Order: sequence, then C-alpha cells, then structure tokens
Amino acid sequence: MTRYFISRIGQALIVLWAAFTISFILLQAMPGDAVLIKFQNPEYGLSPEQLAGIRAAYAADGSLLSQYLHTAGRFLIGDFGYSLQAGVAVSAQLAADIPPTIRLAGFGFLVAALIAVTLALLANLQGVGRLRSIIQSVPSLFVSVPTFWLGIMLIQIFSFRLRLVPVINPGPWEGLILPVLTVAVPISAPLAQILLRNIDKVLTRPFVAVARAKGASHGWVLWRHVAKNAFLPVLTVAGVLFGELLAGAVITETVFGLNGIGSLTEQAVNFQDVAVLQAIVVLSAAAFVTINLSIDLLYPILDPRLKAGPETVR
Amino acid sequence: MSLMATAKTLLLASAISVSFSAFASAADVGAKPVQGGTLIYLEQQPHTNLYPPAGGFYPNGGVLNQITDKLTYQNPKTLEIEPWVAESWTVNDNATEYTFKLRKGVTFSDGTPLDAAAVAKNYDTFGLGNKELKQPVSEVINNYDRSEVIDPLTVKFYFKKPSPGFLQGTSVIGSGLVSLKTLALPFDQLGDATKIIGSGPFVVDSETLGKELTLKVREDYAWGPAKLEHQGRAYLDGIKYVITGEDSVRIGALLSGQADFIRQVQAYDEEQVESQGYKIYAAPTRGVNNSVVFRPDNPLVSDVRVRQALLHGTNSAEIISTLFSANYPQAKSIIASTAQGYLDLSPKLTYDAAKAAKLLDEAGWKPGANGIREKDGNALVLTAYESPPQPQNKATLQLVAQQWAKLGVTLNVLAGDSGSKTVDDLDPAKTPVSPAMVGRADPDVIKSQYYPKNRDVLRQKGGPSDKVKSFVDDKLNGLLEQLSSEPDRPKRLQIAGEVQNYVIDQAYAIPIFEEPQAFAGAPYVQGVGFEAVGRPSFYSTWLAEH
Repeated sequence: MTRYFISRIGQALIVLWAAFTISFILLQAMPGDAVLIKFQNPEYGLSPEQLAGIRAAYAADGSLLSQYLHTAGRFLIGDFGYSLQAGVAVSAQLAADIPPTIRLAGFGFLVAALIAVTLALLANLQGVGRLRSIIQSVPSLFVSVPTFWLGIMLIQIFSFRLRLVPVINPGPWEGLILPVLTVAVPISAPLAQILLRNIDKVLTRPFVAVARAKGASHGWVLWRHVAKNAFLPVLTVAGVLFGELLAGAVITETVFGLNGIGSLTEQAVNFQDVAVLQAIVVLSAAAFVTINLSIDLLYPILDPRLKAGPETVR
Repeated sequence: MSLMATAKTLLLASAISVSFSAFASAADVGAKPVQGGTLIYLEQQPHTNLYPPAGGFYPNGGVLNQITDKLTYQNPKTLEIEPWVAESWTVNDNATEYTFKLRKGVTFSDGTPLDAAAVAKNYDTFGLGNKELKQPVSEVINNYDRSEVIDPLTVKFYFKKPSPGFLQGTSVIGSGLVSLKTLALPFDQLGDATKIIGSGPFVVDSETLGKELTLKVREDYAWGPAKLEHQGRAYLDGIKYVITGEDSVRIGALLSGQADFIRQVQAYDEEQVESQGYKIYAAPTRGVNNSVVFRPDNPLVSDVRVRQALLHGTNSAEIISTLFSANYPQAKSIIASTAQGYLDLSPKLTYDAAKAAKLLDEAGWKPGANGIREKDGNALVLTAYESPPQPQNKATLQLVAQQWAKLGVTLNVLAGDSGSKTVDDLDPAKTPVSPAMVGRADPDVIKSQYYPKNRDVLRQKGGPSDKVKSFVDDKLNGLLEQLSSEPDRPKRLQIAGEVQNYVIDQAYAIPIFEEPQAFAGAPYVQGVGFEAVGRPSFYSTWLAEH
C-alpha cells in the first residue's frame, strides 16, 4: 500500500512538472507577450527606447532557457511573480480568487449530485409508470442547456423580474444560490445518466433477484443493494467532471460578476498575462491530480472487493 | 382637563410641524443636495494598474478621478483651465517654464502634505519615468526636463522644448497626484487600489481583487476645484464599484433597483433604459474621432487615390443610423466638434460612390473576375482587427466592409487574441486598415495619435514597429511637432486646422463618429459630473429620496 502511495505521488509530481513545462513552451510560442501587449499598446504611447528599457526590466529579452529556469526556480519557492495587467502579485490574486471558486465548485458539485440522485431514485420508484421515460429524458435536456444562457435566464427571472435574490451586493449565501444552480445543472446531467444506466444494469444482476426472493421490498433493494453498486462508476466520472466544473465556473463567474479562478483565467487569457496563466495551469493540474488520487484511494473503502489487493484474489 | 387640552394642542402643533416639514422636504427635492448614502456603480471591467498615467483606461479613470486631485481643473463646458491644487500659475513666453503656486493645507489621505516637493516628485516620475521601479512616462507630458522646488508652496517645471500642451496636461486623468509612499512602490504593485494614496474627495476603503472596490468619503476634504459651486466634502458617504461584465446584467440590475449607476451602455439598449424613466449620460470624449485609419506602408493603400476612394465610399451616416443613436454625432473632421481647434471639414467627407469608383479606376484598380478590383495580379483585399473597447466596433467594421464591397474592395474583419492582434497590428503588411480613437481635450491629442514616437496609428518608419519598410510623412510630422511646441495659442489652433485638412486630403483616416462614453443612471442620482473626456466624477453626486 505504501509503495503504491509513493509511486502515485511520484506520478503526480511528474504530471505537475510536465504541465508546467508544456504550458511554459506553449505560452512562449504564442505571438506577442504580456510586455508587448501591455506597453506597446496605444494606451501608453511609449517610444521605442522606452519600450526596450521596459523589456529589459522584465527580463523579457533573455533567452528562452534562462527564462524557463528563472520561472521554474521561482515556482519552486512558491513565488508566482506579478500580474503585468493587474499590477498585483499573482499570489494575491490567487488568494482572493481560489476560495470563491472552491465554494462555487464544491456546492455546485453537491447540488449536481443531489439532482442526479433524486432523478435516479425518482425514475426507479414503484408506480412511476409512464412518467419514468420523461424523468429519464431530463438529463439530456440539462446537458444541452448552455451555461451562459441558463445563468442569464436565472438572473432575469429570479432576480430582475421576481426580485427574489439580488445579483449585486447579495449576502454571502444569497449570492451563491443562482450561480450554484447554473454550475450544477449541466454537471448533474452526465452524473444522472450514468447513475440511471447503472441502476438498470445492477437491477438485472442475480443478487438482486436473490434479495427480492428473500422478500426484500423494492425500496430496500434499491437503497441497500443497488445504489451502493451503482455509485462506483459515478465516482470515477466525478473526477473527470471536475475539469468541466472549472470550465463552467469561467462562464458562470463572468455572467454573475463573481471573482474567482474562472474570471481570473478569462482576463489573463485576454491579456496574455503569462505569469497568471502559468500559475493557473500548474494549480489546476495540481487540483486534478489530487482529486483523482483521492478518488483512487477512496475506491477500496467503498468497495471491499478492491481492498484485499491482487494477491488474495482467488 | 387642562392636561388633556395641553396634550391635544401639543399633538396638533406637532402634527402641523410634521406636515410642514414634510411639505418643505418635498419642495426641496431636485434643489438641495442631501448628504449620505452609498452609490452602487457597476463597471464592465476590473481596473488594471492604477499608476496615474495609466488612467486613460476607462475603468482606471473611473476610480482615479474620485481618489486623486490634479494641479488644474479643465472646465468641461468651456474647456478653460481653472485652479485646483494650484491656485495660480505663470508660463514664460515660449512655454518652456511653468511655475505653479499651490493651495495651502492640502493633504494626502495618509496625512502627508501635498506640497511643492510632492508635486515635483509626481511630475519628475510622470515626465521622466522611473526605470528602477519600472514606472513608465506619461503620454501627455512632452519634452520634460526637470522640476525645481522654489518654496514649500511653489514649484517650477523646465522643458527642453516649448510645451504649450503641458498646462492642459496637468488637468487630465493621467495627471492625478499621489503620495510619495505610492510613488515609492514598484509599478508591479500599483494594481492594488488600497496602495493608491491621493488627496481626492474619496479614499479607498477596501478591495476584493477583480470583484469589488469600496471608496469612502474623506470628511476633511476642503480643496475641490475653486470655481465649482460645491465645496467641502462630497455628498456621498461612499461608492461601491461592482464588476459586472455582462451587458444585460448591468442594465437589468439598474432597472430592477439593484444598482444606481452603470458604465458602458450600448446604443441598442438606450431606448429600454430611457423608456423606464432612467437617464442616459453620453459624455463626449472630445478627442480624435472614432475612425478607420490606413497604413500607407502597405502597397495596397499607398496610393492616395485608393484611400480617397475608400473615404468617399464609406457612408458614416448609414453606420450611425443603423448601429448607433443621436448620442453618436456624425464626424465632421478627424477630431470631435467639441474638441479644441476643431475645423468643420464635412464638405471633404461626403459619401459619393460614383466618385469613389472613378478614383479607383484612375488608380488602375479594375474590377476582376469575381467582382473584386485587381491591379497587376493583386486583388484589393484589406484586413483590419476589431478593437473591442470601442462601441460595437466589430459591427461598425463589418458595415464598412459591406459598403466597400459595393466598390469591389474586400475588408476582412478579424477578432484574434490580443497577442496575435498586437503583433499583426504593428505590421502594415498584415493590417493595412485599423480602427482608431483617443480622447483628450487639447490639440496635443492629434499629435498623440499620429506622431511616430507616440501612438503612431499610420505606422511610420522610426515608430515602435520594426516591420515598416519605408513610409514616412515628413510634412505631417513637421506639422505635428509645430502643433505640440507652438506657444502662441491662435497660431497653435491654426496649425491644428492645417493638420486636420492635411490628414483628410491625404485620406489617412476616415472619421466616422464622435465617440461618447455612455453611462446610465437611476432617476434619483443627481449631480453626476464628467471631466473633459468623459470620466465620471462623483464629487458633487447625491442621492435624492427614493
């Protein structure tokens, strides 16, 4: 187990290094750079001599390798540099933007899971009858709703027409309701689809028939025997969905005017703010790796069959 | 019994006085400003670096204008320069020496005095830059040499060459005065609003990066521009800036009472706002008009006849009636009719498709197989990048492209990421056409726009672009140099007229409309002011009962 753990962490570190290096190369390969965009723009109207001075001051004129080593060295000690566009330390931006995004993504995921489970259980209730096919088609509807449209609709209806929740200056919890819904709906769809399909699959397994034969009620079978087995693949997908969650956050944060990693990324991409982008790429990679690692480590806890390890399989 | 009577009388009396005061306050509405309240201001983009010379970016100007004061105040109605932090000033005959006498008792919000030494340090930084701290020079200060502190309230500036635009330059948004503590910080840290310490009527209270900025009133503020009616502290207790990028959310929030004032309202949203009794503020920017400019270094547009043909082939009246509103006046010169030195050149800017076609024929561009004009095997296909900060710029360029297509000329309108856009835009071979606009209420603005060492919109050899092969217009540059160094005002305005004529005769630019900065406000928001180029000032703003 320890060896497994160490090798997984080693893999994670390699992924992080690769993410850093590849993003560095790609960002350098793009036409122009942040110094150019910021200072050679009409906004400043600087002379060529002044521009050369600024390039030298930002070490944007050094060789690629020296810039790479310089940046890597700074990252290792946790110094992400300064955002050229915003004029603040990247670490300050991250400190301001990570907590709101975690909050949004976390609650978004919880609500998405809630929606998915509710849909799956509803569809499998006894006596649902013809409604079942309608419930089963809800996820396909959800997955095809564009996030920005959903966000704007929710704002227009619940905030501007019905005036139930303010978008501007809301309370800390009040302000989360609409954005969380916006993030949750598209994420809930694939979760619900997988859950529905798995429940159907598990219901055909022999042990379900056995449980039924022993006289277990439908609800008991569903909850005690089926749900647990149907959840495992969902967990795997959940790790992958994290990326989608971040993408959804970009749009949601822009529509709702929230600060967070999403809107920070959007701004940084717009101005090719390399220092910010580099930090975001590495952080996202770290988050991805951590989440997938913890899911892998969770498996044996949820599924006793995996706990034993390969040697003991008979 | 008598007690009852007394009570009754008292009740009656108080009832009368209550109704009286109610009446009085009702009559007051619209007349006497009330103090208090926080203005909720929705901004489209977060501010970037708040180093004062970067105030040209609208979100930055909207903040800096509330927290900093300037040496002088440009009256937005008369465009005259009036006293502010400087009580009086003298200029020598050839505009190379300026002496300012400062107002007594002005302090920055950190308690340090705004005296001659502070002013000198500000202008040394803006005029010369600070390499060590990476602070760049200000665009509005030309030929700066040095400062001299004569006494604690008198400061003198020396220039290497005559700089008649400097006095106006002390009044612009990029010339806000900040504390020595702020100037001692590296450029890289000036995006943190809490570190920008000015002497203005508001002080930065707190900031959530990229989301919110809260200003609070400075109670002891007593040095507003001397000629303003309002003196003393600002009426508002504070201003809360909330970044709301989505257009429909800003407007919806305003109309549903969640916000008081918003920036950036597109022309197509104006009706919706006004029909509900809300107010549109279209503040003129008084500078170079929203235009399309050419890069004559590109052989496709090096012939003046081609450029003239495209000028006469552009129907700006149609662009305005299709995309804009009455708040976007049709351009009559390269600068706005509210700008200094403006000359009405509308007879030279007529839309005349027949003339345009004739000019292209004369220049040797004949219609080819697919309707596109050709010459020596080259098709007349041009490219321009849209400029997102300008109102509906993509739609404007696409309409221009449609109008040019009728002449047999193709204009490709590209969006592009800011990196490739910036790089391509420096290369006349790749972008022979470009949208352009800049606001500033002094004839110097024309030089800022066209001079190769400034914004260089025409892309001349010797400018910031190393891709230019040969194009230089010495006559234009000579006129621009005279414009920025002629100390005699009537002569200076006459040169401004010559430049306008020359640019239009050469058809270097096709002016389209006079660009406003469009804001919208709730009906109870009173007394919103705008500085000369359209940045809001909330010093005299107050909130009526609502």
